[in-house]
Amino acid sequence: MVVFVATILLMIFYQWTRLTASLGILMLMVLWLHLGLPWLNFLRGLGFAALTFFIIAWLAFDLLTAIVSALRLLAMGTVFFLFFQTTPPEALSNALLKMGVPYPFAFVLSASMQFVPVLIRRLKNIRDAQRSRGIPIEGGLSLLVHLPALAGPLLIQAFKFADELAEAMEARGFGIPGRRFRHEPRFRWMDWMVVVMSLAALAIAFWNPYR
Amino acid sequence: MILRFEGVSYRYPGAESWVLNGLDLIIHPGETVLIAGASGSGKSTLCRACIGLVPHLHHGEWIGKIFVDGLDTSQHPVYELFRHAGLVFQNADAQLFNQTVESELTYGLESLGLVHGEIEQRLAWARKMAELDDLMDRPPHSLSGGEKQKVALGSILALRPRLLLLDEPFTHLDPEGTEGLRRILRMMKSEGMALIIVEHRLHEIIHDVDRIIILHQGRIAADGSPDQVLAGEISDYGLNLPPLVRLFREMELNGRPLSVEDAIKELKDQNLLAPFSIRLLKEAKTPPPFPRTSPPMVEAEDIGFSYQGLSVLRNIHFKLRRGESVALVGQNGAGKTTLIKHLNGLLKPHRGHLKILGQETLRRPVSELSRHVGFVWQNPNDQLFQPTVREEVLTGPKALRFYDPSWCDELFNRFGLVSLLERSPFTLSEGQKKRVSFAAALAVKPELIVLDEPTAGQDEPFRRELVKFIAELQREDRTVVLVTHDLEFAAEHANRWLVLADGQIIADGPPEAVMADSRAMIKAGLRSTQRHQLIQALRGVKGDKG
Repeated sequence: MVVFVATILLMIFYQWTRLTASLGILMLMVLWLHLGLPWLNFLRGLGFAALTFFIIAWLAFDLLTAIVSALRLLAMGTVFFLFFQTTPPEALSNALLKMGVPYPFAFVLSASMQFVPVLIRRLKNIRDAQRSRGIPIEGGLSLLVHLPALAGPLLIQAFKFADELAEAMEARGFGIPGRRFRHEPRFRWMDWMVVVMSLAALAIAFWNPYR
Repeated sequence: MILRFEGVSYRYPGAESWVLNGLDLIIHPGETVLIAGASGSGKSTLCRACIGLVPHLHHGEWIGKIFVDGLDTSQHPVYELFRHAGLVFQNADAQLFNQTVESELTYGLESLGLVHGEIEQRLAWARKMAELDDLMDRPPHSLSGGEKQKVALGSILALRPRLLLLDEPFTHLDPEGTEGLRRILRMMKSEGMALIIVEHRLHEIIHDVDRIIILHQGRIAADGSPDQVLAGEISDYGLNLPPLVRLFREMELNGRPLSVEDAIKELKDQNLLAPFSIRLLKEAKTPPPFPRTSPPMVEAEDIGFSYQGLSVLRNIHFKLRRGESVALVGQNGAGKTTLIKHLNGLLKPHRGHLKILGQETLRRPVSELSRHVGFVWQNPNDQLFQPTVREEVLTGPKALRFYDPSWCDELFNRFGLVSLLERSPFTLSEGQKKRVSFAAALAVKPELIVLDEPTAGQDEPFRRELVKFIAELQREDRTVVLVTHDLEFAAEHANRWLVLADGQIIADGPPEAVMADSRAMIKAGLRSTQRHQLIQALRGVKGDKG
């Protein structure tokens, strides 16, 4: 819910001062939650994207628009980053279920998130195995040049993995109708508070510019 | 009965051959059965059929009936069958899909719709049985391989099925892990669960089973007590006899002992104790030391390596010469993989010096060292990506700009790939893929070849081929490094053992000498081969008599 509101806010802020302020608030949150180091890692990818965005926008429009767009991208990226870092996948799937998303979808979404590190590990193994044959995959550009050598085995293994996983899930009753949960997902009063506050913030933001 | 197959035949969709071919089988409650068979015999399909994945998930053609705990599997979906029969799959990684170990264990119970109190009770029982008490809050994928397997086992045990099936559970376990699993299985047996263990290596589990069924090309080729089945010619079905049984047969003795005690008792009963001892002890004399005096292939001086602040390797010293065949042994986590990754520069030592062919590895890139050091990794699927087998093998020569056409043609012959050259590597069987990865590793004529767990998951015919390959490599003056848990294989086919424990080499020498060093063996968590144990026991007996 908060994410939804934050996104809308960011979309309508068009003054770079406000955006910088938002970014500042977000960064304070990042530091408060001790997520500084992971955020810097994330920034590598996000920063690259923001920079590209900035350059394109500057060329297409003007400097101010470019700055605003880049800041907006950084801020939104950070919001999503915070969201995924602070929300355990279980809570996410519970929330989705409560909102009415069918069980198989919600479950698959949260389960997939935890397999990303598994696939990354597999990719590292593949990279080492291919390097052992003399294929020079040392980093950066060579990863792209030798993409088939990395992507080929990874995709094949990913498909096989998905097949085996489907079997394992079936074998423990994934498809059974009428499953009961050990911890029932519930909306607590705190969740309601957040919803109310977000809607209020949204209302204020919309109100102001049209004064 | 807990399981009954009536004339079952099955064929995967689009396949030409029948994986299961007229199977009739009855398993009784509480029985412990070993289903043994080579690759392609149908054992994994059989497991899947018992819980209904075949035919419900995989479709395909199906003849006959299977009854699990009285239920006809073709009439009930998997989610009705799974409380009666539980299957622990081969690949532990692809079985765990929950956020914590605890939720992994309760997942199946939630599926069953049990009430809260019942779930808590079953959870407590399963976590104790599978020895998972310390790991409850951990995400499953942060655990070691052995721990993951226990979690997978625990999640099925929580369902308390009357029939438990395990598909090749011992493949990746070290000796300690193997003992742990056997312990858990014995407990399940005493709880009255019927157990079906599917394996192609017999000697680890054979003591604990009441019955062996041999599956061959989708049919039952033998069915009886271990003693009955081992009396036959099981090598016809791609299986290997347990070491002591094989020894007795080689020496033309009667009896099929499964343990050292059994063997000694057999010998005493037949009054052959003395002559046998003499024969065996004569053969067991320490072989002459490795004669070559060529300059060393690999020189490691005081190597140290750390990962994330922890020291993984310490004070590693050794020299490898041309033509040697060395087995690197030790428990999972001792540092074997870390050590071999230094040999082709994937890792560089943080301390000390490592020289390959006289030159330091520190500044040399992997793409240079791999010309001299070839690797055959455990999973050939990590490397296959070319459209044809031929291109796959020639990838190395192309990348390293070292292509010898006549040598590559010879490799195609040696590894039986001539008829497969134009096929896509993805259409091959796992055994064929392994052969391709061997040829690919040798294509640039490396002086040193590293084999990472070459026998894991491979059946007997492949092991025999492997023995031939290693002998050929040694004849060509290449150095072979074998990383393996299979000590029986390492004892017979390596001149020398390097024992790694906790990041240090604690023993280095011929297999017999290393196995005699019981302190080192215990520290490394290893057990000597049955043949060696027998020799030691005989020496002890002789001592008593003398």
